[in-house]
Amino acid sequence: MFERFRREAKLTHGELWLRYFELGGMSTALELEAVLYGALWPTGHDHDVIAHALNERFVELGGNHPVPYSEGMADAPEAP
Amino acid sequence: MTTQGDNVRPFGVSVDFGDHYTVLGVTGEVDLVTGPMVDAIVSSVIDGGHRAVVLDLAKCDFLDARGLRSIASAIRRLAGVGAVLTVRSPSAMVGHLLETSGISDLIHLEQERPVTGPEPSRTGPVTVLAPAGHLGPEEVVRGSGRGGETGLSDVVRPLRRITAVPADDDVVDGALRLVVDLAQATVGGADGVSVSLRRHGRLSTVAATDQTILDMDTDQYDTGEGPCVDASVEGRWFHAEALGDETRWPTFVPRARALGTNAILSSPLLAGARPVGALNIYSRAVAAFTPRDRELAATFASGASAILTEAGAGVDSDELAGRLTEALERRAVISQAQGVLMAHHGLSAEAAYTVLLRSSIQTGTPLREGARMVAAAALRPRASSGEGLGDSADG
Repeated sequence: MFERFRREAKLTHGELWLRYFELGGMSTALELEAVLYGALWPTGHDHDVIAHALNERFVELGGNHPVPYSEGMADAPEAP
Repeated sequence: MTTQGDNVRPFGVSVDFGDHYTVLGVTGEVDLVTGPMVDAIVSSVIDGGHRAVVLDLAKCDFLDARGLRSIASAIRRLAGVGAVLTVRSPSAMVGHLLETSGISDLIHLEQERPVTGPEPSRTGPVTVLAPAGHLGPEEVVRGSGRGGETGLSDVVRPLRRITAVPADDDVVDGALRLVVDLAQATVGGADGVSVSLRRHGRLSTVAATDQTILDMDTDQYDTGEGPCVDASVEGRWFHAEALGDETRWPTFVPRARALGTNAILSSPLLAGARPVGALNIYSRAVAAFTPRDRELAATFASGASAILTEAGAGVDSDELAGRLTEALERRAVISQAQGVLMAHHGLSAEAAYTVLLRSSIQTGTPLREGARMVAAAALRPRASSGEGLGDSADG
């Protein structure tokens, strides 16, 4: 799923990793690629960081967060 | 966001010069990557003197905001010469977009093709941009005098499919070959055209109309001088009107003259603000390039620059180091904000991150902006109340 979004967001693997890293992502570029292609399953938190890196790009392109977040996000506390 | 399925056709544009209309047939998706190419083709058709322009969208599968911009700029260009754009056979989705954006009020809308079929053309359609698998003969295009119909009709150089993932060198090269061919066909004095691009710290030619042009570029890279090298380095255009009188580039000029070149126009290609290459136009004639030719060259160079910018070209190791530093700084701010939230609200690191994330989603602003505000807000009252700064902001 992520890989399809990456293509639609018109980001290279390197650019996506940089954005993910900026947002605090802890995986290496290679691990991220494995997640994108479905070879590695991310933790809920990591899933959200990747989704958000993509969504911030989609927002730049005029979209509105098309990449779904993890279910845990719904139970999270509201912004103070 | 593109609803890219398996059934999306590869991007392509055909140009059909009829007696009364010039029909541009768009296939595939018009978006951030392909929009600049549509713009370049529309511009060259209008610059070639065509006023009755039909944009046939029957095979256009998708059009995003960038695609709408292409249509809007075609409308503007045509309005400038007192003409109105005709848009033919848009899909329901594209039709809706044209409607809601108000663009439909500014165009002639033809919902269907005429029953008699497309207007017969004198020359038949010319594929300017062909999808993969539909490649025409790999022939070298010779300039045929002033732009316009005859010039553009010669543009049969095939291009690779453009709908692949952008930032792929193949895709960029394909787009640059298109630019070279369009420039060759439309710039009056052009006897040969090339694009130089810096990759891995070295200039090389990614597209050239023939071997002589390639040799001329290579001579410039070898001698380290010449308009193409200077335009690529300095990011401004260089025009050598008469090589016989030229005093710049003493090593290169005699070589170019030996190959029969007498005038050169090099326009810079920029990725973002960084010069990354040049669009070079060579002529055997002295003072071959008119002001209009120079304008056309600038148009093509800016189209190519848009493609390069989008593809992230010109990101060399210096820039990468800069971007990494920037990424590390942004990352640190997010960590600081996490620390502030953890201290003030008794949250775990992960919960604090989720708070920042939700706020970013709700406000549509980048997460780093929210984090910056949280970190900054934590500093201000503490500074005024005389407390230490380091107790909670070093998460």
